[in-house]
Amino acid sequence: MSLQPEKRTLILLRHSMMPQNAQYNSATMIDYQDQPILEVTGLNIFYGSFQAVRDVSFAVKPGEIFGLLGPNGAGKTSTLSAIEGLLKPQSGRIMVAGFDSARNPLHVRAVLGVQLQATSFQSELTVLEILQLYAGIYGVPMSKERISGIMKDISLEGAESRRFGQLSGGQQQRVSLVIAIIHEPRLVLLDEPTTGLDPQSRRKLWERMEAMREKGHGLLLTTHSMEEAESVCDRIGIVDHGRIIAIDTPQALIEKHRDDPEVISASRRGKITLEDVFIGLTGRSIRS
Amino acid sequence: MQITIPATSTVMKSLLRADLITQWRNRRSLILILLVPVIVLISWKGIVDKMGGPFALSNCITIGLVAIGLMGYSNSVARDREKAVFQRLRVAPLPSWTIMASRLIVQLAMVLLVTIAVFVGGYYFDKITISPTGYVFSFLAALIGGALYLSLGQVIVGLIRNPETVNSTSRLVYFVFIMVGMFGELGVLGKEIGTAVHWSPYGTVKTILSASMEPATWTSTTTWALLMTILYTIVLAGIGIRKFQWNAR
Repeated sequence: MSLQPEKRTLILLRHSMMPQNAQYNSATMIDYQDQPILEVTGLNIFYGSFQAVRDVSFAVKPGEIFGLLGPNGAGKTSTLSAIEGLLKPQSGRIMVAGFDSARNPLHVRAVLGVQLQATSFQSELTVLEILQLYAGIYGVPMSKERISGIMKDISLEGAESRRFGQLSGGQQQRVSLVIAIIHEPRLVLLDEPTTGLDPQSRRKLWERMEAMREKGHGLLLTTHSMEEAESVCDRIGIVDHGRIIAIDTPQALIEKHRDDPEVISASRRGKITLEDVFIGLTGRSIRS
Repeated sequence: MQITIPATSTVMKSLLRADLITQWRNRRSLILILLVPVIVLISWKGIVDKMGGPFALSNCITIGLVAIGLMGYSNSVARDREKAVFQRLRVAPLPSWTIMASRLIVQLAMVLLVTIAVFVGGYYFDKITISPTGYVFSFLAALIGGALYLSLGQVIVGLIRNPETVNSTSRLVYFVFIMVGMFGELGVLGKEIGTAVHWSPYGTVKTILSASMEPATWTSTTTWALLMTILYTIVLAGIGIRKFQWNAR
């Protein structure tokens, strides 16, 4: 990573940024600087007797894009859901910006930005009303200038009064992303963010993700796209049957596994790609 | 370094605003909830003369309350759950109970709106007036009755996850409640069914509403109806909350 240290400074909600009439509860956050913004240790998740996540451990640093890759049902979304606080793991520890997710769930959520797979907003609300709703929830002031800045940033100028349900898939996705980062979170979680997007929108989203990385946000994303993983992720973790079976930079993973017989047999054009490594490590059988 | 979490009151204000806008923009549901009781009231002109104003008003308010709980609340919760609206809110720094509390407050406001619409309709079309105390008690009884039907709606979304199945089930239950309730109360379906309807969620709410409009007619039977209404609410809300899943999958 070529991130300059001064760009890794913490971006936090300040009292001076808050609406004048709003009330807040405060807490001190540990300034971790170069320490991991996310630390997952020994995570285990069960659905009844089925174990979806097995002893998963990894960390994400500020200014890093970390990708979780895996076949369907590998445990990526379950891991993400546990970090988001939507699932209670049976064991393991999740620390976000120095907060333990089990002990301080609200503080963890205050420093998390989340983009879910589904659309996630009431279709009757306008873009402006959605912005106002989440600004209120996160305690972020919304001046006219800020709103027009946001709308311009997501190429939706003049669409403030359009209802969310009337937007195209790409426009909804952009609104969803801007809501995820409306409070300048330290860690952004993106669950298959480019699924269903056209190449132009996908490229634009990658640029946004890289811009967030440059600002010092940590990003954790799940994806099925090897191209995406290779293009934007600084490191990736390959998940299969609930376990992380490989973790490194995309290039290092290719180098490390290029001579594996399974990887060579998965190769289609002679040149070893990340997809070949992925198929070689996770197998050719189609998952549910 | 400090991080700040907005106070619950600030969060509630934002949620309430969004939920009120959503309710207002759901015109079809809004019209159905407000208009049907008034139309029934207008079509009952003859019954008003025969059975009295409070009988007609209490039946019509009850119809509105059933519609709020079954058609409005359950469908909107099922639909938003399917779209992961709740999941998105739950990953924000707010207590989960505020999400449902905001929705319930909006529905209770709808209860008051239906009650006002029926009173206005009753006065405008049938010249029905009750005492000021009657109006106050009626609003309180409507809120208690509304809570019962909201808890019934909660049971439906607690037991069924698919929004289309929730929609068809709530319509069916609504239709059965209204038809059996109205005709059972009028004695058309026989004495046994009439008695069953009287102590059903439809009948007990109708009984307390009717007696609230004329406080002098409040008897021990009405008190039992009130207790039954509260009991139904607690049991149904208990089941509905226990079985409810935030995620549709």
